[in-house]
Amino acid sequence: MWKRVWSRRKFEEKMQEELRFHIEEYTADLIRSGIPAEEAARRARVEFGSAASVQEECRQARGLLFFDELKRQIRHASRLLRKSPGFTMTAILTLGVCIGANLTLFAVVDAILLRPLPFPEPERLVTIFNTYPKANVERDGSSITNYYERRGRIAAFASLSMYRQGSGIVGEPGYTEREIINRVTPEFFGTLGTRPVLGRVFTEEETTPATDKAVILTDGYWRERFNADPNIAGRRVRIDGIANTVVGVLPAGFRFLSSEARLYAPFSSSPEERTSGNRHSGGNAKHLIARMAPGATIEQAQSQIDAQNAALDRDNPRAAMMAEAGFRSLVVSLHGDHTAGVRTILLCLQAGALGLLIIGGVNLMNLLLIRASSRAKEIAVRQALGATWWHVIAESGTEIVALAFAGGILGIAIGAFGVQAVIRFGADRLPLGSQIGMNAQLVVATIAGSSLLGVLMTIPIAWFHLRNHAAIQTESRSTTAGRAAQRLRHAFITGQIALALVLLTGAGLLGLSLEKAMAVPPGFRADHVLTGQLSVSWNVYRNWPSRLGFNERLLNELRGQPGVVSAGIASNVPLSGNSGKSAATVIGYARRPGESPRGLYSYGVDGDYFAAMGFALREGRFLNAADTRGKVPVCVVDEDFARYYWAGKTAIGQQLFQGASAGREQDAFTVVGVVGAVKQSELTDEAPHGAVYYPYVMRSDPSVIVAIRSQQPPESLVPALQRAVRQIDPEVPITGIRTMEARIDQSLVTRRSPALLAGLFSVVALLLTALGTYGVLSYAVAQRRREIGVRVALGARPESIRAQFLSIALRLLAAGTVLGLFGAWLTGQAMRTILFHVPPFHLATLLAAALTIGAVSLAACLIPSSRAARISPMEALADD
Amino acid sequence: MGKNAGLLPGTLDMLILKAVSLKPLHGYGVLLRIRQISGDALDIPQGSLYPALYRLEHQDLIAADWGTSDNNRKAKFYKLTTAGRRRLRDETAGWNRLAAAISSALNTTPEEV
Repeated sequence: MWKRVWSRRKFEEKMQEELRFHIEEYTADLIRSGIPAEEAARRARVEFGSAASVQEECRQARGLLFFDELKRQIRHASRLLRKSPGFTMTAILTLGVCIGANLTLFAVVDAILLRPLPFPEPERLVTIFNTYPKANVERDGSSITNYYERRGRIAAFASLSMYRQGSGIVGEPGYTEREIINRVTPEFFGTLGTRPVLGRVFTEEETTPATDKAVILTDGYWRERFNADPNIAGRRVRIDGIANTVVGVLPAGFRFLSSEARLYAPFSSSPEERTSGNRHSGGNAKHLIARMAPGATIEQAQSQIDAQNAALDRDNPRAAMMAEAGFRSLVVSLHGDHTAGVRTILLCLQAGALGLLIIGGVNLMNLLLIRASSRAKEIAVRQALGATWWHVIAESGTEIVALAFAGGILGIAIGAFGVQAVIRFGADRLPLGSQIGMNAQLVVATIAGSSLLGVLMTIPIAWFHLRNHAAIQTESRSTTAGRAAQRLRHAFITGQIALALVLLTGAGLLGLSLEKAMAVPPGFRADHVLTGQLSVSWNVYRNWPSRLGFNERLLNELRGQPGVVSAGIASNVPLSGNSGKSAATVIGYARRPGESPRGLYSYGVDGDYFAAMGFALREGRFLNAADTRGKVPVCVVDEDFARYYWAGKTAIGQQLFQGASAGREQDAFTVVGVVGAVKQSELTDEAPHGAVYYPYVMRSDPSVIVAIRSQQPPESLVPALQRAVRQIDPEVPITGIRTMEARIDQSLVTRRSPALLAGLFSVVALLLTALGTYGVLSYAVAQRRREIGVRVALGARPESIRAQFLSIALRLLAAGTVLGLFGAWLTGQAMRTILFHVPPFHLATLLAAALTIGAVSLAACLIPSSRAARISPMEALADD
Repeated sequence: MGKNAGLLPGTLDMLILKAVSLKPLHGYGVLLRIRQISGDALDIPQGSLYPALYRLEHQDLIAADWGTSDNNRKAKFYKLTTAGRRRLRDETAGWNRLAAAISSALNTTPEEV
């Protein structure tokens, strides 16, 4: 571009020099022929003609007029646009809203699905997880044994690492905070392709429980807590009451996927945890990541893992059982795996936004076609005066591209606002959500995209002008081009109605799925329950009596609060994520051939947990505090469990072992009660997985959730809960204090947000469709004023004229609806996986959507049709 | 460019090509040469010469080079390109055919009809 401008300047200089030379030579010749110098100079200039116009013609001859022409076109276009501010505003606003919606979603799609992970050669990063599909365990992380057995033995992996996300109480007594801490093996940072900017990574020596007192800080933590001390290495950070030595600081901006961890500690394990007996102790906290060797493929890695699994399980007495459970270790792309859960819905929403943009664009094209029709005569005159058709197209093209460009600028503003809204409301719940944000690339892409949109919208206008050009000779009122343009406008409206119908149906299906999901009874009484997460450090509470003592004091304290009905503790509450499954072995139950072992939700509970949560009691009794402290191992199962293992018999008195194999007789748990099944991980869970509730000591975790049922609004208990914990031990952090209803609400966020967004899109789509139909019909009425006037003069009744225009609208509506039904069917198929209890082709939704669109577009037609009916012959004929 | 008084439309290009085919010339030289080879019968309007030169250059029929004029001044010289030579040959043949046809048409007497 600059080169072009520069060469342009050079061209001008040379041209002027050449012309000057000519005039001077000619002057010299005239002087030689005896004419006085002054007169000669004058004659030379006169005969040469206007230098400016010669120069202009030279430029034109050289084809250098492009920029001048463009400038002129833009001036002309902006004049035209200023002359009709209503049209201009509508156009820019429509485009702005549609482009803004697309930009917002694209920012999300780009950050989550498109942009590679922020590590070197991210496409080489994979994760490996165990799956036991026939046991209803789709995903079970990886075991420590998996890590040690695979490390260095899978040729397709350049490096392999294991990590576990957890938390810890960090800080000096009195100033503690709960921090997310990732525990990682030494190769972790190397696998990701990064390393500490200060200090070192963890060493192999730091991977045993006795020697793992090292910590690596993120840049943020280092700056915030240590004021970016460059001599940080060797300083101490207390984690769970134990001093850890800082060995390194990570580069600024380092973040592992969506992890909130600000501290990294060594992933340590005992020799016992690494034995083959623990090969299948995955659980959903430990994960493997690997960097593929250069050139290696995921298929190669998968077959090497499969081969190793087969070889290793040969010595495993439980191999047959694992095979029956459909055990495999899957190698998948780290990025793809991390974002798989939101992929479909994000793509559907982006498609919806694109549909909106098409509707908006079509509206605009219709308005532009109408304008082009009304300017057909003016343009014909100009063509007669020598304007080429190319000229005419370039002119409307400039106008449209300018409009699209302005729409794009507004779209960027709206999109920036939308992105902010996404960030504020729930970006952190999306995988890689923290990467969402506006950036220069998005802005450039939007500008490029809207300019392209402008060019696309020029095509029908260009086509119209070409047709018009061909038909111009006839000079009739309704040219064939006019009819063709009308057909095109009608085709656009049909497409618009179809798209709006698709959007509306899609939103309807999402909304209906949400409604169905919300109507699912969770299986417990969620009202009047307050919950909060406690982290009791096991380094401080070293033995069971002290841990149980803490629970007991807390529950007693809470029960003493006014209005509290019951209080209990569990390792996790339903619908809060991370409900772990494990196996149980039922005494006297022999698996049928081909029957898989089952993954069961397993919890440890203390106090009056079931009463506090409002579980239903089907048989026997609930667990109570005495069971936790008693000597006899007892447990409670849910009805799904009981039905599966003891169908037709009573479950009470039956016995089972924790884990996948039978143990000593005195360790068997006796079932003392059967509770109702609850929705464990999501309201939309359908499969009867089964659950076992053990006394807290038998299955416990340093992090527990306390649940309180009260007669008062549960929120009013928040201060009491905080106070109670503080009084017992100010070091124990309590987080995530929410009512059970809020937890259920939150578990639906991946359904609610898309449904709301899709609903918003459909409202805009409806408005745009109404606007489009109104515009086109108004124009049709205006164009046929004379005809209508004549008919009225000849005695036509207003009703028949109104009916005529309404019938146009009805025809368009019918065609659009048929097309839209087909589109809605396709959309339903695409959305199949994200629907809940709603068939992809849902008749009632379709009917409602079609009726809504029909009502809206007919309403939009009423005004122009009645206007047509009111046309009086006098004024219609008096016009032009 | 309708200032070609006395010239048939389209003939200016042909004349320019012919002029520079004899010897590279600067713009003013082209003007003089056309006047000379037409026996002073054709006078090119000076204003239309340069646009025509630029157009022919843009079409790669002639090429330009800066050189020194007879009186030692810097000037832009035009010469014929291969494409220009071909075009000149075609145009000349075409013109000759046309001229012969028109001349025979205009010389027709009533007896010949």
